[in-house]
Amino acid sequence: MSQDLSRVRNIGISAHIDSGKTTLTERILFYTDKIHAIHEVRGKDGVGAKMDSMELEKERGITIQSAATYCTWKNIDINIIDTPGHVDFTVEVERALRVLDGAVLVLCSVGGVQSQSITVNRQMTRYNVPRIAFINKCDRTGANPDKVSEQLRDKLELNAHMMQIPIGLESELEGAIDLVTMKAVYYDGDNGEIIREDVIPADMIEEAEDKREALLEEISMFSEELMEAVLEGGDVDVQLIYDAVRQGTLSLEFTPVFIGSAYKNNGVQALLDAVEQYLPCPTDVENLALDLKEDEKEFPVSNDPKDPLIMLAFKLEDGRYGQLTYVRTYQGEVRKGETVYNNRTGKKVKIGRLCRMHSDEMQEIDSCGSGDIVALFGIDCASGDTFTAGSISCSMTSMHIPEPVISLAVIPVDNKAQINMSKALNRFTKEDPTFRTYVDHETGETIVSGMGELHLEVYVERMKREYDALVEVGAPQVAYRETISQRAEFNYIHKKQTGGSGQFGRVAGYMEPLEEGDYEFVDKIVGGVIPREFIGSCDKGFKKSLDKGSLCGAAITGIRCVINDGSYHNVDSSDVAFQLASVGAFKEGYLKAKPVIMEPIMKVAVEGPSEFQGAVMGSINQRRGMIIGTSEEGLYTVIEAEVPLSEMFGYSTTLRSLTQGKAEFTMEFATFKPVPKSVGEDLVKAYQDERKNS
Amino acid sequence: MVNNDLIVNNPLRALGLEEKAEKGVQSMGLVMARAGLGKTAILVQFALDCILQGNSVLHVSIGESVEKTRAWYDDILSLLTEGEKIEMIPGIMKNRMIMTFKEATFSKAVLEERFDDLVQQDIFRPECLIVDGYDFSSNDKDSLEDLRKFMDDRGLKMIWFSAVCHRGDDRVSEDGVPAPCHDVASLFETVLLIKPAGDEMQLAILKCDSSAVDPNATLTLDPSTMLVKKS
Repeated sequence: MSQDLSRVRNIGISAHIDSGKTTLTERILFYTDKIHAIHEVRGKDGVGAKMDSMELEKERGITIQSAATYCTWKNIDINIIDTPGHVDFTVEVERALRVLDGAVLVLCSVGGVQSQSITVNRQMTRYNVPRIAFINKCDRTGANPDKVSEQLRDKLELNAHMMQIPIGLESELEGAIDLVTMKAVYYDGDNGEIIREDVIPADMIEEAEDKREALLEEISMFSEELMEAVLEGGDVDVQLIYDAVRQGTLSLEFTPVFIGSAYKNNGVQALLDAVEQYLPCPTDVENLALDLKEDEKEFPVSNDPKDPLIMLAFKLEDGRYGQLTYVRTYQGEVRKGETVYNNRTGKKVKIGRLCRMHSDEMQEIDSCGSGDIVALFGIDCASGDTFTAGSISCSMTSMHIPEPVISLAVIPVDNKAQINMSKALNRFTKEDPTFRTYVDHETGETIVSGMGELHLEVYVERMKREYDALVEVGAPQVAYRETISQRAEFNYIHKKQTGGSGQFGRVAGYMEPLEEGDYEFVDKIVGGVIPREFIGSCDKGFKKSLDKGSLCGAAITGIRCVINDGSYHNVDSSDVAFQLASVGAFKEGYLKAKPVIMEPIMKVAVEGPSEFQGAVMGSINQRRGMIIGTSEEGLYTVIEAEVPLSEMFGYSTTLRSLTQGKAEFTMEFATFKPVPKSVGEDLVKAYQDERKNS
Repeated sequence: MVNNDLIVNNPLRALGLEEKAEKGVQSMGLVMARAGLGKTAILVQFALDCILQGNSVLHVSIGESVEKTRAWYDDILSLLTEGEKIEMIPGIMKNRMIMTFKEATFSKAVLEERFDDLVQQDIFRPECLIVDGYDFSSNDKDSLEDLRKFMDDRGLKMIWFSAVCHRGDDRVSEDGVPAPCHDVASLFETVLLIKPAGDEMQLAILKCDSSAVDPNATLTLDPSTMLVKKS
């Protein structure tokens, strides 16, 4: 890896599922000489694409985990993170975007901007990631890159402009006209590796000139020099155009659009050139760290290899070489054998081995510098931890991690499976912050929770395959929450004086709904009616009570507990006594505070032919869904709705049968809302029955 | 803030249009302005007013996305209520549906089909219709008469349209309604025109059949929020 940061690109490839981004990555690796043969995602040779290294990914033909790789194109070092397309795995996409400097948004030339493209684009915007678009699959019947480019403007509100125009489309796709150099580019050879430049076909000259003029007009906004050159007329220097497009792209005000077909080996090299020309190097973007010594004040990282080290662990993986920690270095340099500090745990960590990963293969290196993405071996940390040189104490900005919305009981079939399952769960929870696990103390079952059915399904499958942990799974359960709807007072005395040392504690105050956050404890005790040393005990007691609400056994959130009075006994008061008094006080107040059950509401987008719009809307309505809006674009319509998660199980089957398999849907967590009365009553009854039977 | 406060504070009441909605008098209204002067903001205020009175509103947006249209509601409501979120006011989400169309795909027939789908399956029963982005230049009087008939047939209380007028086009109807709506002005009971006046924006009432206002009255708009200034 070169030390010159201007020659480094950290990029991600993101798109809607099945837009062909893994195929595109495969071609990139081939053209940059990282691999010497092309294997298709669902190819007949059974090898699978390079980036789909997990057995399960190869079998299903979708990317589950992002794998990191790097390649070199025309003296530029490119680190690529291949990101998953399914919405259940968006935390992977978000983590990738957090550490990347630029991204390629891949779109299907037939499907255009689909629901997941919108999600991914929103995520890119959230992290200020400059992007270029690649309209893939131009060889497919119905390919219409112009329409897709227009959708980029309309639906994603990007100032997107085609940098090329296709020569032929669908089965007649031959190449593209580069609107900057005004040359026709063809990709010859068995694998499109021979790039042939030619003059523009005579029948396309006029179209190309018109489109170039429009492009120049647009991008001249980003460069005064270019604007002057355009106004003067005559030939415009190509470098001026490159610079203006780069300027617009970096400021997120312009999105250059490229076209091609990765599968047909067409247009990939031009995209690589664009990555070099238009996407930022690590010093072009500002990354902020939080200074832990100064109340988390934000400061920009320097990118200077001579400054103290700042490095973020953004991904953990348990591969065949042991535990791998993917890190991005923001400033400073780290060498094999050096000691760094984990700022979360405060522990010193010795860097044993440093590797550059190429999907599931690796290349050992001695050091890595600012801007690098590499993997460390044998480091004990969690995803999102920041490592520093010790002279500074900082953390990279926290990542947005959504709360899990669905859970499953997993029951190991035997003792061996039990041990293996623990190992697997330990690993998965460290790797993926949206995947959580806990033991239900009442049933003794291990519960796993995550972001969707497929998310959990994949982990259960991985437990079996990678850890040989055979488990039985229960039916998926919605992660309900309980909260209170009004203020209520409590005044509870815990008194036990039956032999041995007694227990005494009185806790009084009130609880009220908390608009933002899960729980807040407020101490308004004056005059020492509860001694200082027992205030923490009260907090502990309330926190304990939050684990399980009395309505349906769900966790309690959105509550503020305020204590303002109490009493103690010189001998009998203790930590335990005040904890128990607080548990009692909570119980007393909770029922008076009109508790309600909240359910996760999902933002659902169904995309399908307009003729099925009525049927789809009906199906959403039947599922207690609220339709926010519909947008009709010719033959296709997108229906946006908010639907309770509990009603979404099995929806893919319903949708398939309603629309002859022509519609698809994506969903992501939106919010928690109170359940309707009838549903709430059923949940309470089911919980009471369960408690009676256990 | 409760709904009643919001209704009372909504300055668009100045037009006295709520009486018509309450009595079930059917009417068609039009908000005109040059591009970018805030037609959608005014339409959204009308829609919110209807919703807060308990009516269901179907907001048809031509050439805009659902997301952007939603954002208008969020912004206007937030301004009207000093920061309240739309989810916090009961009934708003339930009584509003947004339907967006590309310019090329919108027609009365498509709207009719979608509308009937909603009603027949008991998904949503619109009582007021907002049509933002209707192309008056390309559609003739017959198309608009069809939409008026559609309102009568479906028992809609009101339809509000927006229309873009252009600086260079001086044509006007007898009531002073500018092109491109000068030929169809007779189909509307109310026509409003947003126009800049110095540092202010004015909402001129070109035509209004409500007894509550003078036909030539003018309301002042706050240019930063597009809300009607309280007098």
